[in-house]
Amino acid sequence: MSAEAMVFLFGVIVGAGLLFVKVFFVILISDLEVDYINPIELCNKLNQFVLPEMAVQAFLTTVFLLSGQWMATAWNLPLVAYNANKIMNGKHMFDATEIFRTLGQHKKECFIKLGFYLLSFFYYLYRMILALVNDS
Amino acid sequence: MASYPTPQPGFRPAQARPPMQQQMQHPGQPGQQPGPYPQQQQRPQNPMQPPMNRPGTPGIPQQGQQQQQQPGLPGQQFRPRPAATSPAGMPRPPLGLDPSGRRPSAAGPMPPSPSSQRPPMASPSFGSHPGQQHPPGSQPLQRPPPIGIQRAPSPMMRPTMVAQPGSPAHQRPYQSPQIQNRPPPSPFMGHGHQQGAPASPAMNPMGFNATPNGYGSNQSQPPTPKMQNQPPQHQQHQQFQQNQQFQQNQQQPPPPHQQQQQQPQHQQQHHQQQQMAPPNAQGGLIPGPPTPTPQAGGAGTHKPKRMYPTGINSYTEPAPSYDAIPNPGFVPAAGPGPAPPAPGLQPMAQPQFFVPGEKQGVPAPGYQQGHQPLPGQQSQPNVNQLAHQMGGMNVSNGSFGGPGVPQLSTVALMGSAPRILDLDLPPPPINLPANASITQSPHANCDPSYKRSTLNAIPATSQLLSKSRLPFGLVITPYRSVKEGDEPVPVVSDSIIARCRRCRTYINPYVKFVEGGQRWKCNMCYTLNEVPSSFDYDSQTQQPVDRWQRKELNHAVVEYIAPTEYMVRPPQPLVYMILIDVSYPAIQCGMVATAATTILESLDRIPNDEGRTKIGIITVDSSIHFYNLNTASGEPQMLVVSDLEEPYLPQPEDLLCNLSECRPTLETLLNRLHDMFKDTQNVGNALGPALQSAYKLISPIGGKILCLQSSLPNLEGGALKVREDPKLLGTSKESTLLQSGSSFYKNFAVDCSKSQVCVDMFLFGSQYSDVATLSCLPRFTGGSTFFYPAFTAAKSEDALKFAHELAEFLSQRIALEAVMRVRASKGLRMSAFYGNFFVRSTDLLSLPNVPRDQSYSIEISFDENLNIPVVCFQTALLHTSSSGERRIRVLTLAVPVTTSLSELYMSADQVAIATLLSCKAVERGMNSKLDDARDALTNKCVDILGVYKTHMTASSSGATPNLQICDNLKLLPLLTLGMLKHVALRGGSQIPSDLRSYAMHLLSTLPSQCLIPFLHPRFYSLHNMPENCGTIGTDGIQMPQTMNLSSERLERGGLFMLEDGQNIFLWVGRDAVPQLCMDLFGVPNYESIRGGKTTLPTLDSDFNQRVNLIVGKTREMRRSSYYPQLYVIKEDGDAALRLWFLSHLIEDRAEPIMSYYQYLGHLKDRVNSGSF
Repeated sequence: MSAEAMVFLFGVIVGAGLLFVKVFFVILISDLEVDYINPIELCNKLNQFVLPEMAVQAFLTTVFLLSGQWMATAWNLPLVAYNANKIMNGKHMFDATEIFRTLGQHKKECFIKLGFYLLSFFYYLYRMILALVNDS
Repeated sequence: MASYPTPQPGFRPAQARPPMQQQMQHPGQPGQQPGPYPQQQQRPQNPMQPPMNRPGTPGIPQQGQQQQQQPGLPGQQFRPRPAATSPAGMPRPPLGLDPSGRRPSAAGPMPPSPSSQRPPMASPSFGSHPGQQHPPGSQPLQRPPPIGIQRAPSPMMRPTMVAQPGSPAHQRPYQSPQIQNRPPPSPFMGHGHQQGAPASPAMNPMGFNATPNGYGSNQSQPPTPKMQNQPPQHQQHQQFQQNQQFQQNQQQPPPPHQQQQQQPQHQQQHHQQQQMAPPNAQGGLIPGPPTPTPQAGGAGTHKPKRMYPTGINSYTEPAPSYDAIPNPGFVPAAGPGPAPPAPGLQPMAQPQFFVPGEKQGVPAPGYQQGHQPLPGQQSQPNVNQLAHQMGGMNVSNGSFGGPGVPQLSTVALMGSAPRILDLDLPPPPINLPANASITQSPHANCDPSYKRSTLNAIPATSQLLSKSRLPFGLVITPYRSVKEGDEPVPVVSDSIIARCRRCRTYINPYVKFVEGGQRWKCNMCYTLNEVPSSFDYDSQTQQPVDRWQRKELNHAVVEYIAPTEYMVRPPQPLVYMILIDVSYPAIQCGMVATAATTILESLDRIPNDEGRTKIGIITVDSSIHFYNLNTASGEPQMLVVSDLEEPYLPQPEDLLCNLSECRPTLETLLNRLHDMFKDTQNVGNALGPALQSAYKLISPIGGKILCLQSSLPNLEGGALKVREDPKLLGTSKESTLLQSGSSFYKNFAVDCSKSQVCVDMFLFGSQYSDVATLSCLPRFTGGSTFFYPAFTAAKSEDALKFAHELAEFLSQRIALEAVMRVRASKGLRMSAFYGNFFVRSTDLLSLPNVPRDQSYSIEISFDENLNIPVVCFQTALLHTSSSGERRIRVLTLAVPVTTSLSELYMSADQVAIATLLSCKAVERGMNSKLDDARDALTNKCVDILGVYKTHMTASSSGATPNLQICDNLKLLPLLTLGMLKHVALRGGSQIPSDLRSYAMHLLSTLPSQCLIPFLHPRFYSLHNMPENCGTIGTDGIQMPQTMNLSSERLERGGLFMLEDGQNIFLWVGRDAVPQLCMDLFGVPNYESIRGGKTTLPTLDSDFNQRVNLIVGKTREMRRSSYYPQLYVIKEDGDAALRLWFLSHLIEDRAEPIMSYYQYLGHLKDRVNSGSF
């Protein structure tokens, strides 16, 4: 198995994980809308995943960068920059006091990220298969 | 850096704003501005305008007298508390508290308790004893009133009358008699008269143009009989004008506000009046009062404003001598002056000044067409229609059954001063279909003081709403205080709570009983529910009961006593945890001493009905001091915790004690508190850990943490930095200073909210106190913030204000562990919430405490279109009362649905709109940029005006020379301008962020009643107020007429009062006559008056007593616990104070914000350019 295939296999696994996290976010946010969960609980649950998710995504980008996968790096970099910007502004966490005011934004962001990870996942999968096919 | 060298917020003293100064230099010159008050005023309801410009005109004082004579004045009419105030309006005595809060310092610096472990800070070895240097109780710096000053002869001297610039006007006869020779136009005109009368005094505060030393000049001068017979020079002209006016009137329905003014509380009566007025009741008008119903005069006793005065039919001619001797201004009952002028004459005097076009201001081309979609509508039918309507006519018939009967009355905004008296009008009537309520009870709909909607007719579709661009929301003050004279909330005590099983709506007067009364149909979701059997049969007494007598079917505001299903635990007792900052700054400014004394004095006022109230005290500097209040010896025991990283409770119990049980110990502690710390040099403050400890103590029960904070917390968790950077002020980054600077407080607030703990902040800033961050705690826990910039207890005024507010606060009967939910008819959804609470789910607000008189604004959006005739909004506040009862307060508001845009506009409530917009603007300003907030406000105004122009007037496209809006929204631009110029939103780099944050807090929590004066202060002229002002009349203390907020009104010799609910300013002109100074301040001349924060002396002069009463009433008349401080502003005094005062005159130009007329011009340009 070539290095490229290894990298993309790693990408597929991590991508799947990120995908799950985002689905979890979306589910919880919809729960909040229909009142199955209160905002304090929601924020406590979600906030523990926010930074790990961002870190994992940034790490994956670094891996792509180091392994010279320019396409994958370029695809991921905007999100890294966006996340970094949010952290620097201190707006990355869910704020229980503001959550209802910002729910729409959060939801939109969640769906966009979900789509992003989904596309990434299939892209990594494709590249992995491509690499494996090339190997053999 | 961020220090406040002078106590006045808003301005750094050294910074003067040039344009303001410019204006200052010509305070008494009207016409400085580009035609705000043109000589030929086209002002609709200001018939007195022409004489206004002639200082010596004897007619002017007449107006003043009218005020007292004619109870139909709107200004008096809608006074917030008509009957309640008699002697209670006096300034409050300082709560039995020596404001200084000084206490004998005999007690040792430490509690004698042996176990006290206080660290060395108590050592007396420090050289300076700041606490003693500035004993909080030191004498107020007031200069003693000079004694033995010769009394000036009397203001009657009035040297100024000699060289009146406008003296030719003297010659001009008082014109009222004209009317007698003129056929009265129509009953409609009669309207005009009555309605014009009230307006004018406001606009024309009696000779405001008078000479510099106008104190007491041109006082009340009743017209002489001679004049009446003398055909005035302008009579013909006037008559011609009158005719024109008449014609116009016939074409135009009167603006609703006129009708509202007319409309007495008892609409029936009014209706009668209207009908009794024959269309050409000339005889009725000629010599006598225009009133068509003599009996109405008799009714003047209880609702003076709406009725005609009793004297109106018994007009006695005034003594002829009056015109010769103008009366002195405020000389008490001296001489003939105060004699009431001919009462019968006044109402008649009004029509006299009608000028053509006055209804509309500048008659705009095409303007009339705007009105004429209803050519069939003659004036008389209109009036009657409206009267009908108010009597409960079915409006939705109109809206559903056809084009409707739009009675929209359009007014032009430009060319006349805003009619500020209309700010006090009630909102447009809610015209429910007949039988909307099942009981026809007069209380079936919610009082606007509890809940008001921005639209009193709800658009049927969201398209209609977005087309109108009107904001749609509710302003709710569910727990407003019930003052003397208000009706208490009826209580349903049998714990039968009928609720819809699907949407959980409480039964209310708008449900329908079906199936022979066996079931009721919910008016929100239309589900059928069983009627509880006990609605008809009382099983205890075994008697049938009449369900129609049930309070919940008769009252829109009702309180249920909740059974145990509504409790998750037994109702909590009241718990007060008082957290006092005892660091050096707190001791030095005297806060601790004043607070301790006030708390001590208020112990009896703390609600403690069942003896369950608990109280605890924690003091904090660099360590946390707990007090065991339950010791055997009766001596309080101090326990010090210095571990700030993990603050622990030194002992598990007794730190929070039952108020009745620990009372003696508590008193001992409070008595000693100041002395214990008076020598401290400790500048540390560990607010964060102290809050956490307090939280640990009370979180099992819930309750209130009362924080008295005088320094910026600087230790451990919750430490704050001095963030304020003057370079940021006025830039787009400024809003970062208005946001919370530390996440600690937000997280803590969320924790508190979970455990039903509310935090209230009393902030005392001699320096930057980061109100923005610290007010987060009250914001999310349902608390309140009080801010005392540059507080020093050495100033008795400061101490008094704080003591008053703290005492009021402690004695408030608050609600505890509350949740609030607003339900609306199907199709509507609560989309945004503004106020102090935590949003626990999409529509559930959690309020650990509900303070009295805090307002919450809610924005509503459409889920689907409405196809029902009536929409209901129901607010339910489940709470524990301070007497330990679990209760549900239910407020039901029913509003008709309409499909017509004109009805929508006609029913818009400008006061509620302003309240909602200010909340939205504050939010926008905090979360994005202040510029955005201001732009959003102006854009909203432009949108509304533009849509109105396009759809409601004939000139739908192209430029028009004037701005038009319906009568009930005509003050919206003024209120918007008030917001733009308010400390909370005004641009510029002079406003410290603390003051801005505090003002923002107030804007988003004040109920409409207090918010409107806060945005648009009340402005009175005192030196020439009518004799009855400041005396106790039938409905409490009579207030003078409010005036437009323009420095044009200021005279060099005048005395003016301006108040916004938070501060009161007395502005003394530099040419104030010595008599005025003597009478009011007890000083010989203007130079001896001391500017700044003051307390008015109580002298035995009549004027002093009247002004004192007016000031006292101002402090009492609104539902709020704020105690406005009095500032004396001298015309040539402290520049910062003066500018602060002038910044309240919002109709003036204040760089970089436009004057009212410029602002209107700006709006007009935007509207004409179609950029909306």
